[in-house]
Amino acid sequence: MEEVVKINIDGKEVEVPAGINLIDAAEIAGIHIPNLCYMKGMKGVGACRLCLVEVEGLKAPVIACNTKVRDNMIVKTKTERVQEVRKFVIDLLLSMHPLDCMTCTKSGICNLQKYAYEFELKESSFTRKKFGYPVDAANPFIKRDPDYCILCGRCVRVCKEQGTNVLDFMGRGIESKVVTANDRPLQESECTFCGSCVDACPVNALLEADRWRKGREWEYEKYNSVCMLCGCACEIKVSVREGDIQKINSGAKDGSVEKYLCAYGRFGFDSLRAESRLSTPLKRVNGELKETTWEDAINIVSTKLKEAGKNTCIISSASITNEDAITLKRFATEVLKTQNIGSTISLYSDPKVFKNSGKADINSSDLIIVIGLNLSQWDRVLPAIDAAVRKRVNRGAKLIVINEAETGLSTVASINLRGNEIESIKAIITALKQSGAEIDKQTEEYLSDVREITEEITKSAGMILNAKSPLILVSPELFNAASNLALIKGDIIAVYPESNARGVALMGIETESKSYAEMTDSKYSLLYIAGNVPLQNRPDTDFLIVQNSYMNDIAKNADIVLPVAEYLETSGTIIDYAGRIKHLNRAIDSHGKSKSHREIFREIAKKMGTTLKMPVESEIKKAADVKAKISAMPFEKTKNLHFEPDKFIETLNLTVINNSRLIWLKEAFEVKAEK
Amino acid sequence: MEKNIIIKVCMGTGGVASGGEEVLAKFREMITESNLNAKISSNCHAQKVGCRGFCSKDVLVDVIVDDVKTTYKHIKPDMVERIFNEHVINGVPVNEWLAGPEYNNFHDKQTKVVLSHCGDIDPEDIDSYIAVGGYNAAKKAVLEMAPEEIVNIIKNSNLRGRGGAGFPTGLKWELGLRIKSDVKYVICNGDEGDPGAFMDRSVMEGDPHSVIEGMIICAKATQSNSGYIYVRAEYPLAVKRLQMAIEQCLMKNFLGNNIFGSDFSFDLKIFQGAGAFVCGEATALMRSIEGKRGMPSPKLWRSAERGLWDKPTVLNNVETFANVPKIILNGANWYRKLGTERSGGTKVFSLSGKVRNTGLVEVPLGISLREIIYDIGGGIEGGKNFKAVQTGGPSGGCIPAELLDTEVDYESLARAGSIMGSGGMVVLDENTCMVNTAKFFLEFTQAESCGKCTPCRIGTKRMLEILERITSGKGKDGDIELLEELGNHIRATSLCGLGMTAANPVLSTLKYFRDEYIAHIKEKRCPAAVCRDLITFTIIEELCKGCGSCKRVCPADAIRGTRKSPHRIDKELCIKCGSCFDACKFKAILKV
Ligand SMILES: Cc1cc2nc3c(=O)[nH]c(=O)nc-3n(C[C@H](O)[C@H](O)[C@H](O)COP(=O)(O)O)c2cc1C
Ligand code: SF4
Ligand code: SF4
Ligand code: SF4
Ligand code: SF4
Ligand code: SF4
Ligand code: SF4
Ligand code: FES
Ligand code: FES
Repeated sequence: MEEVVKINIDGKEVEVPAGINLIDAAEIAGIHIPNLCYMKGMKGVGACRLCLVEVEGLKAPVIACNTKVRDNMIVKTKTERVQEVRKFVIDLLLSMHPLDCMTCTKSGICNLQKYAYEFELKESSFTRKKFGYPVDAANPFIKRDPDYCILCGRCVRVCKEQGTNVLDFMGRGIESKVVTANDRPLQESECTFCGSCVDACPVNALLEADRWRKGREWEYEKYNSVCMLCGCACEIKVSVREGDIQKINSGAKDGSVEKYLCAYGRFGFDSLRAESRLSTPLKRVNGELKETTWEDAINIVSTKLKEAGKNTCIISSASITNEDAITLKRFATEVLKTQNIGSTISLYSDPKVFKNSGKADINSSDLIIVIGLNLSQWDRVLPAIDAAVRKRVNRGAKLIVINEAETGLSTVASINLRGNEIESIKAIITALKQSGAEIDKQTEEYLSDVREITEEITKSAGMILNAKSPLILVSPELFNAASNLALIKGDIIAVYPESNARGVALMGIETESKSYAEMTDSKYSLLYIAGNVPLQNRPDTDFLIVQNSYMNDIAKNADIVLPVAEYLETSGTIIDYAGRIKHLNRAIDSHGKSKSHREIFREIAKKMGTTLKMPVESEIKKAADVKAKISAMPFEKTKNLHFEPDKFIETLNLTVINNSRLIWLKEAFEVKAEK
Repeated sequence: MEKNIIIKVCMGTGGVASGGEEVLAKFREMITESNLNAKISSNCHAQKVGCRGFCSKDVLVDVIVDDVKTTYKHIKPDMVERIFNEHVINGVPVNEWLAGPEYNNFHDKQTKVVLSHCGDIDPEDIDSYIAVGGYNAAKKAVLEMAPEEIVNIIKNSNLRGRGGAGFPTGLKWELGLRIKSDVKYVICNGDEGDPGAFMDRSVMEGDPHSVIEGMIICAKATQSNSGYIYVRAEYPLAVKRLQMAIEQCLMKNFLGNNIFGSDFSFDLKIFQGAGAFVCGEATALMRSIEGKRGMPSPKLWRSAERGLWDKPTVLNNVETFANVPKIILNGANWYRKLGTERSGGTKVFSLSGKVRNTGLVEVPLGISLREIIYDIGGGIEGGKNFKAVQTGGPSGGCIPAELLDTEVDYESLARAGSIMGSGGMVVLDENTCMVNTAKFFLEFTQAESCGKCTPCRIGTKRMLEILERITSGKGKDGDIELLEELGNHIRATSLCGLGMTAANPVLSTLKYFRDEYIAHIKEKRCPAAVCRDLITFTIIEELCKGCGSCKRVCPADAIRGTRKSPHRIDKELCIKCGSCFDACKFKAILKV
């Protein structure tokens, strides 16, 4: 049970968890303590001085962001004395601020504006000055306008905590400034353009580069959804005006280490309006793809499918929703009666892994063990998970990295175990056994030829024994081997490149006959590709159906192309790597005449004489709710799962990158690499 | 009987700057050349010593013949030969070069504990320190005393931190000892950022071993095995001498593993600071050692619990540590009795400004400001009137003449609206403008603010702007109240000591010299005739002899007049440089 303390805030008695700070405690009591530099989840730094409150028994006011609750504490948040100093602080900030609220993009969600309003400050009572700093607007992602900066340091801290470490303070006194190394433009720093700093900035000093006159906060419709561009499946908040997306922010809870988006998720949405977006069905006429109607396209497809029957091969991407996946499964079994239905999952995982992969919240793990993963924000390999791990470490969690070679995370790990991962796992289990941990009989049988137990191994075992809730993040090929460790202690979660691989697998997209490789390698009469798959050349097939959002290489080689709505244009659910069901909410209308996967499957089915049942939430929940059963497994890598995650993710997102401002990043990076 | 002759040449920073190295070399050359030791069967050698606090008289040289010490001032290499021939060889001091009674008064009225060996021993030679009893205290503490015993002695001595805040050192150590951890640190704060202060530098340069010895004792008392001395990089001589001292200690096994043959180990390193004033603040200093930007952080934990790299850390000032060996040797009672009831011992001040004798002075706590300024400092320079004394550096305040009998201790100075601080003491005479003085100190703190917290970053700038407008004749009604409001708010809301005390010079001058502010604002007049925009230069016709001196020096060509008849200043052209005022021999130029 979590320990609670009783406190009294402004006369309200509340019970709050022990150890939290006064800002969070007041929030539980429904009281807002003004603050500008506090960031939920991080230590209060006491920079803005706005959160001063009075505590009974203490002479001087204390900062709420850095004061922990104590039992029977009596706190007053609105005494005349603290209100006066708060007003003073805002007054000072305004004296060094442009006060452009009428045209400022941040108007409406700006905390400085909000507090100025509350304290009735139309203007600073001191002579107002301006810094007159130049604006950094040399990149298409983030505009930095230091003239608005109130030096709260939130951007510096998020960037540091997630490990990118681009921003810092420079100068002293009134000349202090937030800068990159040597005060260079962002693109000349190590910035990944994740935009975490933009989400953190309370004023107009950091902003999406293209926001000028694209609407202010109150003009947007907001949709909570999920980014489907990689296996992190980040929660997003989409802002829409006049039917178009204006910006995307992180949708994760404040304070969660998962509050993060990478540049793909935040800025890739330009591609929705790209020229290569498919807006109508296409069919091949005299060797060329020509626009056609849905009716015509569905006629052709259903005729072809009828001919092929159970010899049809279907390949699906794992970046589709659960609803799409269930419908596809039904379509294949009920209508086509084919067993040849595979997915991109088989490129990197045995689908069975997902039945055993656990559920966990990284926010509560105090030890993270990363096995065989080269997570990287810079190479955009599951960047949000990389960021989350680094943040947990900065908040006090321990990290053990088990990897063949050095990885980016090695630098922040408490322990790095290099060399063959399986050998390291075996050694740790042996050390655990020596320390008296109970080992599964079967595991013990599998343990053989354990290499020397080094000091590092003993230390790792000690950490595992001491941890309250260890979390193992593992690449699918090592999942089985690592299961033996999880059997002793901890949660184990497989991490993989596609957003809904776990959902797609649990919804039953799993070939019972031909594998992905076989389907793409040998000759079949009809191949139906649903979604974005990393294929460039047309497999040897008589008829190729491509159902995709963009005109990509494989679509160019298709006989018929069916335009699909993008994830931002669809509703539905997915199951993320940690086993959580996440909801997509359609933010904008589907592009042109494109439709969702499931609509298309249903229409074809109907044409073929079957009405497919609509997927319902309860069946998704049921499918998602498999009880993970980990058991002792041989210490072996799952074979044939060799892929390069960075290349893979980039290939999957090629259309998004090439059709959005992300292309700038790629080009800038190439230029940098040449130098 | 053999004659014993020692020649001590000051090689503190002041001594070196005035040519001490050459003076010493010359003496050594003379000793060898004259073959003196053989000739008159004497034992003569020349050695370097550290700063003795009277740097304005450097190069200072002591000639000690059979324990009779004679001190010379302002010695240049070419003067050495005469001193050598007349005094060393023939035994007749060179009277006209003697430092004289002023020098003796300056020293005789002081009570030297921390500075007792400064200027006396060779700071680069551990044996010189050992010869005066050095390392006996550390040896005793390490070999014979239990940590609790040491803590108790320090507690009973009433030693309080000399870095500024005056926290009882014994209590700090007690907490440091109580907290259990496999790694603990001891840090010596040698950042000394106050402008004009040089007491810590003098100790580190003149008696580095005393600091190290104090740290060893602290390490034993708090059961810590590693330490850092944080020295600002602008103190290269201190760094060099501390480095030498550490190496010598390692050779003698006073530092390192199993020191003094015990089972206790203590490893000590030097860290060179970046030089920012705020890095002297304890939390900023620790961040700086960790390689981060030196910015203070709010104290959720006391450093004794979580300090450097989140490990328990005891941090003390240089002077605080230098007191420790003496307390261990002479006992808590002896030290406590030197001071007042609440603060034991002595304190070193850096006396500067308009006093006759400027320099480092060490006095027992409880002495009055008057005694320091008049008895030791020799009173005000040039027979002018005393106006105020600024204590505590830029964080301190100004104490007026009517409070000259204030006792010097933490509480009394605070009551007078100032602070003890690290020991800066600037004497101001009647020609000082108090508004301008406040502005001077605020300029410093404003520029040194780390910029982290709003009140200090922006508030001090806004205060400074108001002071700038007052001193330039643009002060407005309400400015005084605005200054007070700003000052009080900044004091109440800033994160660290820098911001909390930044307004002190302004608030204390507002308290004692409010009429000067009013004169500036209402009458557009600077009573001390310092603020340039508010003064005018006029030639008093009756006194002007028409000599033309003023005309010749005026850079702005603002003076008109023919020889032998009164001259006149064209106010439009005058740039108020003051050259004519200084040039006129007949005091015919009026500055108001
Ligand atoms: C802005 C600022 C600057 C400081 N500079 C110094 C310094 O230069 N040397 C010093 O010993 N203490 C300095 N201090 C005080 C230290 O924070 C700390 O209190 C002191 O070093 C503790 O040692 P003590 O207890 O021996 O005095 C400074 C404090 C502040 C707020
Ligand atoms: S940042 Fe906030 S206070 Fe500043 S101009 Fe914009 S809305 Fe106004
Ligand atoms: S965009 Fe991301 S990496 Fe770049 S400065 Fe902001 S937080 Fe740091
Ligand atoms: S840029 Fe924004 S987040 Fe960063 S310090 Fe300035 S105001 Fe704070
Ligand atoms: S990390 Fe992955 S899921 Fe998250 S925003 Fe980036 S691409 Fe999208
Ligand atoms: S009071 Fe000044 S020096 Fe101290 S933390 Fe605040 S800004 Fe920095
Ligand atoms: S004060 Fe300077 S400029 Fe003015 S008259 Fe005298 S010498 Fe000339
Ligand atoms: S929120 Fe506490 S000081 Fe800024
Ligand atoms: S340096 Fe010579 S007396 Fe100070």
